[in-house]
Amino acid sequence: MTQQQQSTNDLDRPKLIDTDVHNTFASPAELLPYLPKVWHEQWLNSELIGNPWYSSLGSVNRRDAVTPSGGQPGSDPKYMIEHHLDAFDIDYAILTGHIVINCSLHVDPDYGSAIASAYNDYMVDQWLKVDPRFKGSLVINFSDPEAAVKEIQRLGGHPNIVQVIMCSGARIPFGQRHYHRIYEAAEQMNLPVAIHPGSEGKGLAYPPTPSGYPTRYMEWHNILPINYMAHINSLVCEGVFEKFPKLKFVAIEGGIAWLPHLMWRMDKNYKALRDSTPWLKRLPSEYILEHIRLTTQPIEEPANHKQLVEIFNMIDAGKTVMFASDYPHWDFDNPKLALAKIPKEMRVRIQSENAIELYGLQQKAKHEGGGLE
Amino acid sequence: MSRHRVAGVDEIKAGERKLVKVNGMEFGIFNVGGQYHAYRNVCPHAGADVCVGTICGTLLPTPVYEYSYGRENEILRCPWHGWEFDLKTGEHLVDPDMRLRSGKLESISDSSENLERGELETDEDGIFLIL
Ligand code: FES
Repeated sequence: MTQQQQSTNDLDRPKLIDTDVHNTFASPAELLPYLPKVWHEQWLNSELIGNPWYSSLGSVNRRDAVTPSGGQPGSDPKYMIEHHLDAFDIDYAILTGHIVINCSLHVDPDYGSAIASAYNDYMVDQWLKVDPRFKGSLVINFSDPEAAVKEIQRLGGHPNIVQVIMCSGARIPFGQRHYHRIYEAAEQMNLPVAIHPGSEGKGLAYPPTPSGYPTRYMEWHNILPINYMAHINSLVCEGVFEKFPKLKFVAIEGGIAWLPHLMWRMDKNYKALRDSTPWLKRLPSEYILEHIRLTTQPIEEPANHKQLVEIFNMIDAGKTVMFASDYPHWDFDNPKLALAKIPKEMRVRIQSENAIELYGLQQKAKHEGGGLE
Repeated sequence: MSRHRVAGVDEIKAGERKLVKVNGMEFGIFNVGGQYHAYRNVCPHAGADVCVGTICGTLLPTPVYEYSYGRENEILRCPWHGWEFDLKTGEHLVDPDMRLRSGKLESISDSSENLERGELETDEDGIFLIL
């Protein structure tokens, strides 16, 4: 390769990929053209799943992200480009949807699957076509694995869909055989499977902690990571990554600093209790480092930032962690500041390289630039 | 040092604010119960446009399971992560070392006390920000 080619390649390579950006509807009616008539009234007249916790911020959204026409934050693709992608030089935004991802926790699995399919068609039509910097996550209903597999096969090959996504609230830990068909389909299509929090303790999900319900929003939000620990523990111990060696699992917005503890505890127990998981061929932590990817937001903010860097070293963050802002939600991380204290080499990996490798986004998108005219 | 007219005398009502741009810097000018305060429009936490946040009251410190609302219109809540700032002092309610600030502003009238706030002067013509 000539030097000139080399530098053009560098220029073309994404520098910042945001792995958690929430797109939503301007109005619920936007879904109707994609949803069979039989579900219209239910969709328009009911909440998908209820929410018992009230945030004292009043809304999950940033107050300054309301669209120019006064619409829901995250509901106008052009404005999202101007207000977020262009403003922070983001090369790709991985769209992670909104409450629709909770369809797996609806009491009626047929309704849940109908919402997933309708949303996916809407996303392709109303978002992915707008700008090549948007990449989509395919919503599935895990309560009906057969329907989920069909959905992955129906749309998972779309060139701008880069992963499968499901809510992290559940009634069965994600390593169990109930989900294996879903993982098999995702692996066959080369799609990582991502989970996103927010549904813990809602709909059909069990309480957010094994001891029951936290009283208030802050308390609920503080403790979300224990559910992530439960799922990762299950995925490894059930042998999911032995059965599906190419599968990658993305733990979005579940925190990071708890991971060293889990890895060490699992490894220590494995040394004594290996025979209860004879299908595991390596230390549990090795499966985690190879197969689990985590996203940064909401990044931990210890008073001494060096402590976070140490934790990032413990989990090989230069391989396992990807930047996310969570735009336009209230706990948004500013791309310019969130990673400022992380050493450069690791920061570059987190800002783009890990996502480039996971999602195959080696080149920046060719786009016209600009959002609203 | 320069003097910039940022609002008329009765322009900003108590409990309200005005956003202004002076020398390329954005400020929020707040009328807090008749007293004016100016703050840079940059949140000390992570850089949000803090001055567009909600002006509100808050839950006062109380014994366990007691609730008391107060300080109406004296608190500014950042539009990103919701940190609450005391509009009278600029201090974050949790960590007073985290303050809303103007950085390089200086007051024409005052020696040192409010160095980190935009200093405001009122006269019959209006409200002036001294940089
Ligand atoms: S940027 Fe203001 S609270 Fe975080």
